[in-house]
Amino acid sequence: MDVGTALIAQSHRVDLSPTTAIVWALWLLVGFAGIFPGIVAYMVWLERKVAARFQDRIGPNRVGPFGLLQPIADAIKLIVKESIVPRPADGLVHLLAPVIVLASAFLTLAVVPFAVGLVPIDPPSGLVYLIAVSSLSPLGIFLAGWSSRNKYSLIGAMRAVAQLVSYEIPQVLATIPVVLWAGSLSLVSIFDHQAKFGWNAFTPPGLLAFAIFLIAGVAEVNRTPFDIPEAESEIIAGYHTEYSGMRFGLFFLAEYLGVFAISCVATVLFLGGGMPLPFSSFPVNLIDGSVGSYILADAILLAVFLAKVLLFIFAMFWVRATLPRMRIDRLMNFAWKYLVPLCVLNILFAAAWFEVVVRPGRIEAGRWAVGMIGVGLLTAAGVQLVFWANRKLAAAAPIDADWPAGGAARGG
Amino acid sequence: MARSLFLAIAALGLLAALGTVLARNLVRAALHLVAFFFCVACLFVMLEAEFLAAVQVLIYIGAVAILLMFGIMLTRNAATAEADLSGGWRVPGVIAGLCVFAALAFGINNAVSPSGSGAWSAIVARPALEPAEGVAWKAERSRAIDDMPRVVGEQFMTRYALAFELAGLLLTAALVGAVALAREEPAPGDSEPATAVEAEAAVGTTP
Repeated sequence: MDVGTALIAQSHRVDLSPTTAIVWALWLLVGFAGIFPGIVAYMVWLERKVAARFQDRIGPNRVGPFGLLQPIADAIKLIVKESIVPRPADGLVHLLAPVIVLASAFLTLAVVPFAVGLVPIDPPSGLVYLIAVSSLSPLGIFLAGWSSRNKYSLIGAMRAVAQLVSYEIPQVLATIPVVLWAGSLSLVSIFDHQAKFGWNAFTPPGLLAFAIFLIAGVAEVNRTPFDIPEAESEIIAGYHTEYSGMRFGLFFLAEYLGVFAISCVATVLFLGGGMPLPFSSFPVNLIDGSVGSYILADAILLAVFLAKVLLFIFAMFWVRATLPRMRIDRLMNFAWKYLVPLCVLNILFAAAWFEVVVRPGRIEAGRWAVGMIGVGLLTAAGVQLVFWANRKLAAAAPIDADWPAGGAARGG
Repeated sequence: MARSLFLAIAALGLLAALGTVLARNLVRAALHLVAFFFCVACLFVMLEAEFLAAVQVLIYIGAVAILLMFGIMLTRNAATAEADLSGGWRVPGVIAGLCVFAALAFGINNAVSPSGSGAWSAIVARPALEPAEGVAWKAERSRAIDDMPRVVGEQFMTRYALAFELAGLLLTAALVGAVALAREEPAPGDSEPATAVEAEAAVGTTP
């Protein structure tokens, strides 16, 4: 165990040698220009297939075997379609908006450690970088809605910014326990920590943080049940109503890239990256310094990593195919009255877990059991407390007060 | 190399700052401001302070600029949000800007320091920027870079605790004020606040 973790716990400092330049160029060309858009294209195919199965249809099956060439046909269609810009639109900003959203989605992937040594960059403050670049996408969405000069676009943009900014807070707060335990903001260090102490999701505060992170993550990528910014039955397509052709394609790409990125980040932060077993650093301890052992360990890590990511992606498609859209005020209530208090309490529970289990420096069965029972009961009590308080608050309000057509009809 | 890069980024930043002041359209001005914040983040990266760069992007672009645009959106007609700084306000505006510039120039040049301690650059827990000889300097330097979040956090909780708490108090006051302004007179027995407005105002506390 220690051999493996020592091998990957290398310095964050990168020398700008020709080798580094070649590695980065390969990442850009193969990863960011080739593999990631390819994954996105087949995610779209998978979503259409999965959604079709949920609705008792067959899904795309005309282009190629099982409709496998459908994404390519879609891409060609989007590229050759005319890109229409409304006459009163702000031309430059209209072009800039999808670029910002897409750049935000791509930049998120730059710090994800897919396997040992297979990470584009590893800055010492990787998690802050991640949050920072993902906070760029509300800006792009807002500009898209504003520059279109379309009321539906503007409503969509306002909804999007309100939602994204609100859900960013529980998302960020949910990562604090992970940072606290790993003692570092680097995603590679967080991976190392989980090789030593087991997956973060298998601790009581970690499980709560994981659930909050996933809910907030689904909201961050605007997917059902949090897709009010682009609710097609209410406001056409929200902020990208006035986009067509490849500019719309960029939004589309960014949305699915966002789903992929959030799945990758959740896997790294809470599910131990590519490790197949929760309390063993199994493929990492195979590494003995030889090239063959690296390739073997990385192949296992990468395969398991992709399997976990696929699980998240499937769960998001599943949710989308089964749940209806939430109403905007309930969506906001959920973020501010449930998720944020839970996150704040959870930081305290995470500190308790740190003192009991992580502080000694290595995992011990006795302390672990004490932590599981003690902190577990504490966490369950905290969840109960937040739900109880909210029930009391809701009971104090008149019935149907939150329903616009109800007795106490108010704006807001 | 580094110098020409710095000059390019600084020139871009100045252009963006000029654009902020001169743009007629308020959203465009805010967009120029975003570009300026980004240039500042680039300068932080050039100083090997990635943590500060990320925080700069997170707070100033991710929160402040978005909030700014939201404010423009909610208070004006979006399509024709013209800056209407009329003649009467131009001179006080320029004076206020010059005062801020003077205060910053004064502060950055180490003109003041707490009584009983030396200049800021002498006591900061960070190795010198000029490359020195030897492995020890390299190790110290890379440790300083890796540990930047810790160092910044410690400074916030010790040396700058008062400023930190004051900023928090100010933001809380702003939050409470915004809620008080935005909240309609509640009907008797109706304790639920205007959620969307509250949510949006609370964003101000995230930095």
